[in-house]
Amino acid sequence: MNRSLTVDVLFWCFAAGSVLTGYLVFRTDSMVRAAFWLLASFVGVGAILVLLAAEFLGVVLILMMAGEMLIMAVVMVMFMMNPAGLNPMFMVHQHRFAVAAGVVSFAGLSAVALTVDFPDQPVDPAVDATAELGFELLGDSMLVFQTAGVALLATMIGAIALASRNGRFGTADEGSLEPALDIEELESP
Amino acid sequence: MTLEALLVVAAALFAVGLYGAISQQSFVMLMMGLELMINGALLALIALWAHSTGGNPQGQMLAIVFMTVMAIEMALGFALITNVYRVRRADITEKLRKLKG
Amino acid sequence: MRAYLDPGAAVVSVAVAMVVGVYVVAVIDGTAGRLAAGAGRSDLGAVLLDPLRTVALLLTQRRRRTERADAPGWALAPGLLGGLAATGLAVVPVGPGTAVADPSTGFVVFATAIAFVMIAVFLHGWSPNSLFPLIGAYRYGAQALSLQIPFLLAMLATALPAESLAVMDIVEAQADLWNVVRQPLGLPLYLMVGVGVSFWGPLNLPDGADLIGGTSAEDAGTDRLAWELARAAMLFSIAAMGAAAFLGGWWGPLLPGPVWMALKTLFLLVVMVSSRHLVARVRIEPFVVACWAVFIPLALVNIFVSGALLL
Repeated sequence: MNRSLTVDVLFWCFAAGSVLTGYLVFRTDSMVRAAFWLLASFVGVGAILVLLAAEFLGVVLILMMAGEMLIMAVVMVMFMMNPAGLNPMFMVHQHRFAVAAGVVSFAGLSAVALTVDFPDQPVDPAVDATAELGFELLGDSMLVFQTAGVALLATMIGAIALASRNGRFGTADEGSLEPALDIEELESP
Repeated sequence: MTLEALLVVAAALFAVGLYGAISQQSFVMLMMGLELMINGALLALIALWAHSTGGNPQGQMLAIVFMTVMAIEMALGFALITNVYRVRRADITEKLRKLKG
Repeated sequence: MRAYLDPGAAVVSVAVAMVVGVYVVAVIDGTAGRLAAGAGRSDLGAVLLDPLRTVALLLTQRRRRTERADAPGWALAPGLLGGLAATGLAVVPVGPGTAVADPSTGFVVFATAIAFVMIAVFLHGWSPNSLFPLIGAYRYGAQALSLQIPFLLAMLATALPAESLAVMDIVEAQADLWNVVRQPLGLPLYLMVGVGVSFWGPLNLPDGADLIGGTSAEDAGTDRLAWELARAAMLFSIAAMGAAAFLGGWWGPLLPGPVWMALKTLFLLVVMVSSRHLVARVRIEPFVVACWAVFIPLALVNIFVSGALLL
């Protein structure tokens, strides 16, 4: 079927794009670009979710991640010593162990994915998933929804309390130190 | 777009995120690894929702919970990074040495 | 039920609409500027040719390069902003059953396009590796984040009577009464957010004159042309969505649907574009405080009232 082939091609493009840009996050020198590579990875996954008939979730994921990655880029500029990538950078520790962990987890999860016999009940494309989600959110899962809302409120208050400049014992700048100018010895990869 | 292909892609995303979370020295990069891991898990969840549960809306509900967890983790993570920098002047994990044996 | 044009026709129609919209924005801006500056009626004849003169000038002007700039990002930013304007425009229906694309979550697609404008402006300010563009980018980050929640809430209230997130359904639900009458707080909020998100006039904090042009400070020639075109296209698509969601879209007594859409979009464009010459630029600190402390409660009141009226 023509439509199925288009969907497959799109899916592989988005999938390859997501994994590749996810890897580029840790390879690029420019930190602002790293934040935007992560955004590209999320956009890829969001697009795949739209292809899977979970339209609302896919688009909402992309919407959320736009704001989050802007904040991430700003925090990168705050905390990373090489935000524009003007110098090459390779700040890793236990690199071989990390690569091994990545490969082993990929192998293990793929083995599970390929060997386990999952039940086959495909989603009905005629049913509006958004309306179903709406009824579920405000019906059976109302408590989960409310709890998530309260958790987000607590997070907002907590994050502001943690990071605000005017603390209970004076401003946060008292006792804060300038960044160190000496270059620490980094472990060899 | 079979279920196996989707799950393998999700596993790849998770593996790249795990590599990043373990290997990166900087706190912010570590958090990006965690975000990628949740990304992979989210893709796996919706793949199973679309192929194995027949569109059960509780699957979408769980995905919303995942996204809430992502937002919470990022917000509190950045607040803690800011705080630990102010108190200990540490922007990479190597500089937190108070409890090291 | 969901209207989709095939990709070729979609691209062509959106491109044509954007060209027309950008030209109309430039003409309105020129007219409003001359009227505000006290020019007589006879001087307005040049207004129709001024945009073409500006395009010709910018096309022949030499581009500026800065040191260690982020060249891909700098080239991507105007293209991204234009693409987002095109995406926003594509989900707006022009007639009953006629739309370039009508996904069942069209309103969320539009909101995503608006959210991504933050990324485009940040890239545009970050890439030249220069001080004032970077300050402009940070200011836009603060401004856009504060505007996002009032925007989402104001638009969400229009989806309530329609009980659907598709823009076509939102317009269909206004057959008897336009949303601007049902939810009076919605349209002023939406217009303010529209002016803010496309950083125009009173809310031109990232590109303002106090930052010698802000994120466009290092732009010249085709860079500047692309950025200005994308910005005008963003204004146009926000006005089009406002006409669809608040002013009843294609509903109207005598004329055919698309003509009514065009008239309503034109009305909103005149209001938004002329604000540049009527209202001074706001300061960012009181504006951000007002967004969080005043406009969010207003938008919530809007939702509560419209929800209560529906129950």
